[in-house]
Amino acid sequence: MNLKSIRIKHNIQLQLLLISEGILFIYKMFFYSDTSFLLKMLNEIIVFSTVLFMVLYANDIFSEKKFTPLSLVMNLGILCAVIFLAVLFSDSLLPVLFGKISDTLKNPDFFFKIISFLYVLFFAAIVSQLFLILKELHFLKQKRSSSIYFTTMVWFFILASITSVLKFFPELSYIKNTFFIISIILIIFNSIKISWIAFITKKEKLSLLLLSVIICALFFVNLFGSSHENSHYQIFSGFSTSLGEFYIIIMIYGAAYFAVLFFTTLFHIPTAEAFDRKAQEVSSLQYFSKLITQVLDFNELTETITEIALKVSNADAAWIVWKYERIFKPIAHKNIGYIDAELINDYIFRNKSFTEAHSSFIQSLERFEKRSQLNELYSTVIIAPIKTHNEIRGYLAVTKKGDFIFDDEDKSAIDTFSDYASVAIENSRLLEESIEKERLEKELDVAREIQRKILPSKDPVYEKLSVSSVFIPAFEVGGDYYDFFEIDEDLPTGQEGKFGFVIADVSGKGISAAFIMAEIKGIFESLSKTIESPREILIKANQILKRSLDRKNFVSAAYGLIDFKREVISIARAGHCPLLLVREGKVDNIRPQGMGLGLNYGDQFQLFLEEIELDLHENDMIVLYTDGITEAKNIDMEDFGETKFEKILLDNSEKSADEISNEVIKEITQFSKHITQHDDITLVILKWKQKLKIVSLGETPGLDGMEIKNGRIQHLS
Amino acid sequence: MAEFNTSVKDQGDVSLLYLNGYLDAHTASVLENNFSDLIAKDKFKIVVNFKDLVYISSAGLGVFMAFIEKIRENNGDIKLTSMSDKVYNIFDLLGFPLLYEIYKSEDEAVKKFEEINKLEK
Repeated sequence: MNLKSIRIKHNIQLQLLLISEGILFIYKMFFYSDTSFLLKMLNEIIVFSTVLFMVLYANDIFSEKKFTPLSLVMNLGILCAVIFLAVLFSDSLLPVLFGKISDTLKNPDFFFKIISFLYVLFFAAIVSQLFLILKELHFLKQKRSSSIYFTTMVWFFILASITSVLKFFPELSYIKNTFFIISIILIIFNSIKISWIAFITKKEKLSLLLLSVIICALFFVNLFGSSHENSHYQIFSGFSTSLGEFYIIIMIYGAAYFAVLFFTTLFHIPTAEAFDRKAQEVSSLQYFSKLITQVLDFNELTETITEIALKVSNADAAWIVWKYERIFKPIAHKNIGYIDAELINDYIFRNKSFTEAHSSFIQSLERFEKRSQLNELYSTVIIAPIKTHNEIRGYLAVTKKGDFIFDDEDKSAIDTFSDYASVAIENSRLLEESIEKERLEKELDVAREIQRKILPSKDPVYEKLSVSSVFIPAFEVGGDYYDFFEIDEDLPTGQEGKFGFVIADVSGKGISAAFIMAEIKGIFESLSKTIESPREILIKANQILKRSLDRKNFVSAAYGLIDFKREVISIARAGHCPLLLVREGKVDNIRPQGMGLGLNYGDQFQLFLEEIELDLHENDMIVLYTDGITEAKNIDMEDFGETKFEKILLDNSEKSADEISNEVIKEITQFSKHITQHDDITLVILKWKQKLKIVSLGETPGLDGMEIKNGRIQHLS
Repeated sequence: MAEFNTSVKDQGDVSLLYLNGYLDAHTASVLENNFSDLIAKDKFKIVVNFKDLVYISSAGLGVFMAFIEKIRENNGDIKLTSMSDKVYNIFDLLGFPLLYEIYKSEDEAVKKFEEINKLEK
């Protein structure tokens, strides 16, 4: 039903009410004290319909609002008090105005008619209100909104009221009496079921106890005050017998209801606290689930935890003691000052006898020597651990003031709660961790991207030299760098230039390593254009790096230069792994002296740095690598090692540079299977004037045939 | 995951720092904290024992570089002892023997500090 139609209905009800009131008024003006039975009945019918419309109209307004039980009771009490005062007032005032009411009723003047009309209307309104409130109370917290018992009772009210007209025929009074008695039985029956008591708090129950006594007494006073002698009742029953009867029945109902209410409340008082707590536990369960799913920020979470802890335990104050490194610090304190929390903390956690408690406990502050320094006189504290993965992360502390102490029930409530809190905190930690992890992964993506762009995209091709390079990045960028420089590339054809190469490993990992790498590339790229000597280049590079490198960062590097015309290679090494020279079935370490870049910016670096020059022989192979190869691990955490590396180089030395590097990588992959690669792997193989044997074509025709097709034919010069 | 831990012992005015396990980019912060603690306590004569160190990465080496200047400014030193061949090789490749005194045994290193003490008196 929409609002508009309700409003129309309202209006109709109001109109009906006003019309019936008007009719009643007119009727009363003419036949106030007529004694004929027919007119009496007519009078009762008009009064009845007026009261009915009154009730219906008020009921409509009433049912739109939701009332708490206590506010209903309070309203009821006020109405009762109004009746009480009005009766008191009218009893003394009306006789003064109109003399003996019973006489006046027989021959009322106009003034009396008006006054009594308004007077009765006023009371009729109050009584119908009383009835409605009692009905509302009856159905409060009931599962159904109508009950056969209540409806029956109301019908008997009406019957008892209407049949009271029959008092003019004393022989028929048994009819009215029967209805009246049945009404009273139904009143008692309906009053017994008061189900809303259980749902109010202990505090409310206590005030209800007092209220119910007062209201019950008021009903009784109002009931017995309506004796046949007093003017209030005389006006009332003189106006309408059934209304007077209805008034009495409602008073009885009220008195009975509140008498029962008083005793019910009384019996509920002892269990009120336990009930309160259970109710709180149920509602805190909702908080728990909220806690676990919704609150993810750590600070917000701890605030929420202490807030709920207060509600769960009936405590006066709560806070969390969080473990920072090895010190416990109070955070998220509620209703307690930082200083107080800190003092109590000191007492409990920095006590010598304190060992990390894995279950909750109650700590009395009776013997706390600094208790008088506290702003509030706290008496006991419950300490419950907050654990993640069986590790104590902190404690939840709740405390009570004054003479109140905690019992085991409180402790177990807090215990349960701290378990929930632990889960919530763990959740938020995991989330934070995964966000952090994602951030790191993004960062590593950037680092890998930098590295990929820095490293040469393809190997250079020379007539006398074949170059093959392999780079396999580690998940965390390892800081490997290698590069090739074609020097004097603008020489006229026929004249041979020089070829520079560098291999380096930046200390550290990730984005910081990638940045240093980018810088190193810039340095070598520009230096290789102006300086030829590998030693000079490394000295210069070291000087440049002084400006930008952190103390703890350094770079190992090796720089070499091949002179195609003179057929020599010159090499300088700054802390890098030795270069390998494979010649005539032997592997030699080329290890000129030199310390890493960025370790020393003084003369020492320069003094210590050597440069060696080697003649290049046919089929010579120079191997550059980073420690990612020799330190590749197998499942037993053993290193791949130099020996194995050198053996592979020797065994395959007849093959092409690409084939050899493939072979090395294959072996390392085999060796390190099931193991995450922890460092970048870089391998550069340089082969001098290699003459590939045609025979090998016959041995592995498929493979070699393909190699030749791929442009490797130039090696067969 | 590879583990790394350290322990510190005082011998006279020399602090002995024992390394154990794998020292890499992930565990370097443990060693950094050790050095920071020692410096905070004005202990600048430090002997690092590598007897139980299985592996050291470039990030691990960087830790020594990070603190050596500060320590030497305060008339102290970091002396390295009891390295396995493998670990020594890593130090050697980078030229660390030029920058640090590396001894076969802890006693030699401690004695070296004591000699300097005597000279100063």
